[in-house]
Order: sequence, then structure tokens, then C-alpha cells
Amino acid sequence: MNNRLPIQEIWVYLSGSPLLALILTLTAYQIGYALYMRSQRNPLVNPVAIAVLLVAVCLELLDMPYAKYFEGAQFVHFLLGTATVSLAIPIYRGLSGLKGRVFPLLLALVAGGLTSIFSAVGIAHWFGADQAIVGAMVSKSVTAPIAMGVAERLGYSPTLTAVFAVVTGILGAILARFVLDGLGLKIWWQRGFAIGVAAHGIGTSRAFSVHPEAGTYASLAMGLHGILGAVAIPMLAGYIPTF
Amino acid sequence: MIPGLVQILLWQGAGEIVSHFVLPHIPGPVIGLVLLLGFLAARDHVPDSMALVSDAFSQHLGLLFVPAATGVILFLPQLRQHAWAVILALLGSVVLTIAVTALVLRFTGPGGDGE
Repeated sequence: MNNRLPIQEIWVYLSGSPLLALILTLTAYQIGYALYMRSQRNPLVNPVAIAVLLVAVCLELLDMPYAKYFEGAQFVHFLLGTATVSLAIPIYRGLSGLKGRVFPLLLALVAGGLTSIFSAVGIAHWFGADQAIVGAMVSKSVTAPIAMGVAERLGYSPTLTAVFAVVTGILGAILARFVLDGLGLKIWWQRGFAIGVAAHGIGTSRAFSVHPEAGTYASLAMGLHGILGAVAIPMLAGYIPTF
Repeated sequence: MIPGLVQILLWQGAGEIVSHFVLPHIPGPVIGLVLLLGFLAARDHVPDSMALVSDAFSQHLGLLFVPAATGVILFLPQLRQHAWAVILALLGSVVLTIAVTALVLRFTGPGGDGE
């Protein structure tokens, strides 16, 4: 075609294809990730939080409805399932860490998992949050891709679950040190495991940057919590008062 | 990398089928994860091409939940209205979870397993 397209026509074409949503998503994440690396992996400079903020601002400026954005970005979203399956590899690598410690680790995992659910649901309800928010609290300590799948099946919002999971990860990565020091816990694998149970992937990368053994056990905890959460939360759901 | 990706997709497919017909309350990808974990344990090693795919996914796992998490813009009024409940629940819960997990580990202790 020789005739020049007016800018509006290019715009209509672009916003109708998944390309724009994909460019937005990946560019925003790339910026978030670059800032995160530049900050020497400071948990406050979380790449997902930055990316969400940037995409949200762009959607506002472009006057693009979220549903339309998601239509294009669903190609990225779809890979969550594939990424979940591939978590089997780090879990398998971490399993050797269970040796001789199966009992304390599993007991700690179950206790921590139950605490994460009931404390979040309890506090949110106590302060009068509505059902959508309380429901999304249930699986927020499970790694986000699994938490979202679990929330979806239970009829809770995967979006709020993902947001609460990311915030939980950031808070856990920042606060773990103080809580663990306060309790006088000095052994690296124990510290790592506690962070992994509470703060999944974000906590795990924090643990890795502090000590390799803490990282390995955080990763194991995150994987086991993912599996346990997916199996146990739907069974527990009837007993969790989300009101 | 491609053979690894194909295998992971096949395990995901197997997981989806099991989820659909046998265990409808567990998400298909989690069943795929457990099946793959069993397969790896049986073979006792991770194929290189699969490790490549998995490492790429773990490094940028966060990217994959950006589209869903951006949906938070639809919940802003609701979140603003319940801001304190949300902040206190997330803060309280993560601190308690770390503390309980840590205390259980401490009292079931390293002493018994030859550390």
C-alpha cells in the first residue's frame, strides 16, 4: 500500500491486535527487572509491582479497558500453567535437602501453611473486609501461579490473590530478618525454610541473596507449600470461614 | 530447549486430563507438576533441555502474573475502602507465618538428625 495511513488507523490496527498488550507487558517488566537488578535485588524494588504500575498507567493514558488489554496479554498469562509444571525441577533438586529432616520440615510446613490462611482470613474479616478480599487471602502465601489456580477453582479472584501474593512476598522478604532474629533462630536452613513457607518466590530470591543454604531450603519450602496448598486448600475450603 | 518444553507441555496436558476426569478440585498444572516430579524421581536425573526451560521460567516467573495482577485496577475502590484490613491482614499473617514455621523448626530441632 502506497497511501500513508493516518495515525488513527495505525492506532486502531495496533490496539486490535495482541501485539500492543504484549509490548506493554514485556517492556514494563523489562524496566521493572532492570531497576530491580540495579537496586542490588532490593525486595522493595519488586519487578512485578513496578510492571503492574507501569501497565496500569499506560492503560489509563491510552484509555484502554483492562479487558481489552488482557485479551492480548493472555498469551503471557497462559504460560503460568507451563511454569507451574516446570516447578517440578527445582523441587526435585531440593528434595535431597529433606533427608533426615522430613518430620520437622513437614510439620513446620503444615503449621506455617495453616497459620498463613487463618491469620490472614481472621484479621481481614475482623477489620471488616468484604468477601472478595477475604477469599483472596486464603492462598496468598502459596507461590502466585499455583495460588491463582487454586483461587480460581474456589471462586475467589485470581487477580486479588496474585496482588496479595506479591505484597506478601515483598513484606516477608523485608521482615523475615527481624522476626527470625527476634526469635533467635540462627541456623541457615531453618531461616530459609521459614521464609519460603511464608513468602514463596520473592522470599526465596531474598534468601538466596543472603545465604545459599537458606535459599535452597526456601525454594524447597516454596515448592512443597505449592503442592500442599493446591491439594489441601480445596479440602479445607469448607472449614475456612470466608463469610 | 525445545525437547524440554515439549515434555513439560505434555506433562501439563496429562495433568489437565487427570484434573478434568479424576481430581476436579486440583488445578491441572499442579497435577502435571506432581507427575513430572514422580518421573524425575524415577529417572533420578533432570534432562538438560528441561532444566534450561525450568531455569528460564523460575528466573522470570513474575512476568507471567503481570497481566492478571494488573487487573487490580478494577478493584481499587474496594481496596481503598478496606485498605487497613488488607494491610494489617497481609502484615500480620506474614509475620505470624514466619514466626510459627520458625518456632516449629526450632522445637522439633536440629538436634535429632545428626547436625
